[in-house]
Amino acid sequence: MTNGNIESEVISIISDISGFDPGEITPETSLPDDLEIDSIKAIELTVALEKRYKISIRDSDIPEINTVGQIIDLTKRLISHG
Amino acid sequence: MSNTANKDYDVIIIGAGIGGLVCGCYLAKAGMKVLIVEQHHKPGGYCTSFKRNGFTFDAAAHSFGSYREGGNMRRVLDALDLDKRIEIKRYDPSDIIISPDYKITFWADTDRTVEELQQAFPEESESIRNFIRHLTTAKPIDFAVLRRKTFKDFLDRYFQNDRLKAIISIPILGNGALPPSLISAFTGSKIFTEFLLDGGYYAGECMQALPDALAERFKELGGTLKTSCLVKKIKVRDNEVEGVVLEKGNNVSAKYVVSNADARQTFFELLGSNVVEKDILHKIDGMVPSLSIFTLYLGIDRPPATLPKAGTNVWFLPNYNLEDLYLSAKNMTDDIEYFMMRFSPDKKTILAFANAPFRDRKFWYDKKLKFIDTFIRKIETTLVPGLSTRVVYKDAATPYTLYRYTLNYKGAAYGWATFPSQLFTPELKMTTPIKGLFLTGHWTTHTQGIPGVAYLGCDAAKLILKKERTYKK
Repeated sequence: MTNGNIESEVISIISDISGFDPGEITPETSLPDDLEIDSIKAIELTVALEKRYKISIRDSDIPEINTVGQIIDLTKRLISHG
Repeated sequence: MSNTANKDYDVIIIGAGIGGLVCGCYLAKAGMKVLIVEQHHKPGGYCTSFKRNGFTFDAAAHSFGSYREGGNMRRVLDALDLDKRIEIKRYDPSDIIISPDYKITFWADTDRTVEELQQAFPEESESIRNFIRHLTTAKPIDFAVLRRKTFKDFLDRYFQNDRLKAIISIPILGNGALPPSLISAFTGSKIFTEFLLDGGYYAGECMQALPDALAERFKELGGTLKTSCLVKKIKVRDNEVEGVVLEKGNNVSAKYVVSNADARQTFFELLGSNVVEKDILHKIDGMVPSLSIFTLYLGIDRPPATLPKAGTNVWFLPNYNLEDLYLSAKNMTDDIEYFMMRFSPDKKTILAFANAPFRDRKFWYDKKLKFIDTFIRKIETTLVPGLSTRVVYKDAATPYTLYRYTLNYKGAAYGWATFPSQLFTPELKMTTPIKGLFLTGHWTTHTQGIPGVAYLGCDAAKLILKKERTYKK
């Protein structure tokens, strides 16, 4: 799985949950402000990423997530740590 | 802007509960041609009212929350221009919890509620403030921390005192039908913030005013509402929805179908095994629904002086072991141990309810009257002395009644049981693997209660509008 693949896959998962087209989603996009990610969608998103990549997002990582880029980086980091 | 090429409608919505009505209004407002089909003769689902012997009773939902500035209900009603059409009143206090040692009042002013809790549990003063501050100020993403936790895990992070934990949890047991050790922390915390800290709202003369206003607005926006009409099938071809088949065999076509109905019906009956993968059916078959409720309706001639304030929900907690109380309700002992009662805003009726399991028509035929009298006696001996002498009309809705009117599986009051393991079940996402088919309502496992299903109805509509590229924030 290349980093580029992960990026486009995470964007596709975010698109599926938020309903916004992948073309509107870039690493700089804010999850709450641009994509209307509320508490329900935030849980859906973390659960979907954990399931897809068999990773476990720690409680301490969660408050740091604000943009699409941050969640892509976190996912990549957790995958590489196995 | 309708794009119904060769189709009867752009969207067909199954079920005119609050979720279906809100979804329909948003779509119709965006210019789509929408049909809502409802099997009951009036809209509302669990948010309906009925008249008997001159009394008006709310059938199940008896108040709602989340109408503060920025709350889900406020946003939805504002967006549909209904905020000025329905008179929305807030009853203060919204809830009172009565236990053997405490009477705790939930005021519209949260600071006052905090003070009251702090006076009752001074050793937990700081934790009470931190708990409520966290729930009212956390960012949306912060709630992701709760995704695998139970409400008990969440409470244990803040509190030592088991009595305080039980008092906070009793309205969650009543409104979520699970005790703290089983209900997800997310659901528990949302019930606490949206139903208690921002609860007590009431629409017009009775709860029916809310679905009626939504239905009226939906029609004004060009929508068609068909009541007393059952959908028999959702038609799918090459993994794409084509429309629905109504009970008399009429085919109605549409580009999108939104099911706001019970999820088992959607997958097993409306779609069926020819359309849905076996693994998905197997998964849904193994899921646990929430408990139902037994609702008591009393008409009274003169209100006893001991009655609580009209419009306030009063919870009776006989002891602090919510796990055992839940099991006694689930296994249906002959007694009713914990319950909620409410003197209606029109000061003529009382509604009370207790969590109860599903039993068939025969069971309730034998037991209903006995249960009504047990319930009246219970209220009389715990909260309202002299009640039975003022009752001039009595009736009840059993779990079977809930099933009969809404077709919800096992009369479930709150959709699926909200265990952390069932929360956000991927198979019940709002977008489905079938192109054009969406799910909404409390059977999606996302959330429950009137603000919850209003949010889901709005969100399902937004997903469709985003697909159509006509969504405007």
